[in-house]
Amino acid sequence: MALIDIDNLVFSYGPKAPRVLDGVSLSIERGERIAIMGGNGSGKTTLAQWIAGWLPRPGMEATTGHVHAKDRPWQDWTALERAQTVQFVGQIPMQQFSGFAFTVFDEMVFGPGNLGLEPDEIRRRAETVIDLCNMRHLLDRDPFTLSGGEQQRLSIASALIMQPEALVLDEPTGNFDPESRDALLGQISLLPRDLTIILCDMALKPALAIAERFVLLDEGRIIADGAPDEILDHPLTAEIFGLPAVMEAAGLIRDAGHWPTSAKLPMTPSAVVEHFVRRAHDAQG
Amino acid sequence: MIGQPGPHAGKSLLYVPGDSFIHRLNPLTKLVGLLWLAATTFMLPPEGMAAIFVAALAFGVIAGAGRAFVRRLLFTLLPFAIALFVIHGLLIERADTIDYGLFSLSADGLGYMGRILVRVAALLTVSMLFVTTTHPAILLKALDSHGVPPGIAYLISSPLLLLEPFSTRARAIRDAQQARGLDLNGSWRARAKAFPALLIPLVTLALSDLDHRASVLDGRAFRARPFRVVLDAPEDRPYERWLRRTLLVALPLQIGLAAWL
Amino acid sequence: MLKVEGVGFHYVAGTEVLRDLSFSASAGDIVALVGRNGAGKSTLLRLLNGLLKPTRGTVTIDGNVTAETPVHLISRSIGTVFQSPEQQIFNATVRDEVMFGPRNLPITAEERETRVREALERTRLTDQSAVHPLDLDQAKRRFVALASVLATRPPALLLDEPQRGLDARGRLLLERIVLEEQAKGCCVVIVCHDMEFVARLATRVIALSDGEISADRPPAEFFLDAKLTAGASVEAPDILRVSQQLGLPPCLTPAAFAEAWVARSSEPANRT
Repeated sequence: MALIDIDNLVFSYGPKAPRVLDGVSLSIERGERIAIMGGNGSGKTTLAQWIAGWLPRPGMEATTGHVHAKDRPWQDWTALERAQTVQFVGQIPMQQFSGFAFTVFDEMVFGPGNLGLEPDEIRRRAETVIDLCNMRHLLDRDPFTLSGGEQQRLSIASALIMQPEALVLDEPTGNFDPESRDALLGQISLLPRDLTIILCDMALKPALAIAERFVLLDEGRIIADGAPDEILDHPLTAEIFGLPAVMEAAGLIRDAGHWPTSAKLPMTPSAVVEHFVRRAHDAQG
Repeated sequence: MIGQPGPHAGKSLLYVPGDSFIHRLNPLTKLVGLLWLAATTFMLPPEGMAAIFVAALAFGVIAGAGRAFVRRLLFTLLPFAIALFVIHGLLIERADTIDYGLFSLSADGLGYMGRILVRVAALLTVSMLFVTTTHPAILLKALDSHGVPPGIAYLISSPLLLLEPFSTRARAIRDAQQARGLDLNGSWRARAKAFPALLIPLVTLALSDLDHRASVLDGRAFRARPFRVVLDAPEDRPYERWLRRTLLVALPLQIGLAAWL
Repeated sequence: MLKVEGVGFHYVAGTEVLRDLSFSASAGDIVALVGRNGAGKSTLLRLLNGLLKPTRGTVTIDGNVTAETPVHLISRSIGTVFQSPEQQIFNATVRDEVMFGPRNLPITAEERETRVREALERTRLTDQSAVHPLDLDQAKRRFVALASVLATRPPALLLDEPQRGLDARGRLLLERIVLEEQAKGCCVVIVCHDMEFVARLATRVIALSDGEISADRPPAEFFLDAKLTAGASVEAPDILRVSQQLGLPPCLTPAAFAEAWVARSSEPANRT
């Protein structure tokens, strides 16, 4: 039984609106780390919301196909069950706060309070996520005065405290400067191994840092599904996401006829650099 | 700017942080007290209302919110007083109106104006005392910990809580439109024409936010159960409970008495 | 075109956010404003488009001193594209939204039409001109905001993190538009965190740290100086490090790198 099972999902935001998802089939197993990669308008945020159970909503149902979580369609789930199965963290941290909390700590325990847990249990859970997300020095702060990176850590902590089986991250670092982005990615990669992580992004860096399975989404369709290097090799990857600069340079050099015809272009930036270093060395030797 | 507290952060939330006696009262006690005082001002003679006004103002100063009080009172009461003066003092003809040539004044009218003004001032200062010493999030906690259904608690506190993000956004929209050539300082006609450019984004964004918030709150199981578990609920001392009960009993009695007399 | 002289700024009863800034930029410049969060970039941006007036010194845009010119008139000299297009979109179609700027300008109806058509073409929105802007995806909305500024043809452009949230196709289109503006003699100022984007486009890097200008250099010089990049807490593009590692002349872009590499491998093997 897959954790999430999507079968031939076709979806649009209204009867006249264009199709956002156009026959998506995807199965996500427990403990998987999967990146759903797509450019602007590819439908990845919509797909993320289906995976997290934010869709369907009244008036926004699937045209055809379905999404099942543990063999049951989302419609059959109560909010209580769903909140403890999948949690969603979006792009703009401030939009994910309950708005009811005076302090970081209160924001974190908002969800468990809704579950009706015993106060002791809530405190135990809080202890765990405080360490996991490195929040201890921030507990008394007003959530709205934190930096972007700190706010996103709080969003993730507030999601994890619900003890979900899966975490859906929709461009979690899309709004950050590189420094905060790298710090947050480091924090995410430290999360427990049994947590399923579904990352939707259009930057390669977060995906390479977190995921071991890549799904390429374009115009609402899955056009590739496999290991990272298969996706990096896909002709659309460079066009949609842009390659790391050294790889782009290698491509230009090949196009100029200065790449050994026998050698394939390496698939990672570091491999490209190695290749350059070797050849520079050969030329000198 | 996303995620950064703006230069105006905290300006539109009326709460003034502090640790005064009034800050420490349970928010429910303050809420009931506010309700009782509001009802009572309608039964008191002007002197009583004036006493409430002065007392509330004094408490406000003690609570450290003196400046906020004075500013808000001036902004609200001054235009109101001028309007009242013009209408009741100058414009409405009364039996005792005396003509001074250029204008005519009525002592009755002025007395009437004074009574309205002192009542509004009393209501306003008492409400100010409540909002400046009670953070909406703490009020919410108090409501939750007393078993008030989350939906109702949400209705009571969210307008206060959402005031700040809302006005931050209103400023951002104004800036964005001015920077693309919208004239907001010109003639009345120009300003009226500019209105949709300010209002439509604000409403559209508020609606899409509402939609998003519903999903966010749902995702965190808000209202999945008929009650919420609250950690560190505001302290509720026995005398406060008694005070609230007394006031809640006194309220209908007073109203009944006033109606009967 | 754009002149900042001895500018200081503080919010009401606050400490100074900016201290004694001076620089100028002229037609054809692409200036990248870099620096960590809180260094004063957002404040400087709002001083340049007149939303804030300096508390010390003067900002002059196209001959107009901002402190003495109403904001809506400054917008004719410098067009700003903000980060959140949702905060300005209020018309029911993309075309009307782009028409908003030209409508406030003293030009003929015919001229307005021409400008709007051209702006829509350049941002690849012609096919969507009758669509409601909010029915477009986030990236397309950004281009609607850009088009609505391009349609006013300002002599200077102010772009706040324009590359953020765009995929490679969008970034390519954006780059092309910025270069076209430069070629037309527009002075472009870009606030940007993405150093690869800065390296590809900028003719100058101005780094802010703690409210002061810590560097004002051509990108190659700026990125080669570790002290300057550290001061602005930015990282030089990877490709620069690789080119140095390989003993090539410093290269900021893949194209420059490829060129340098090809040039070296075409040389006769006379190296020692």
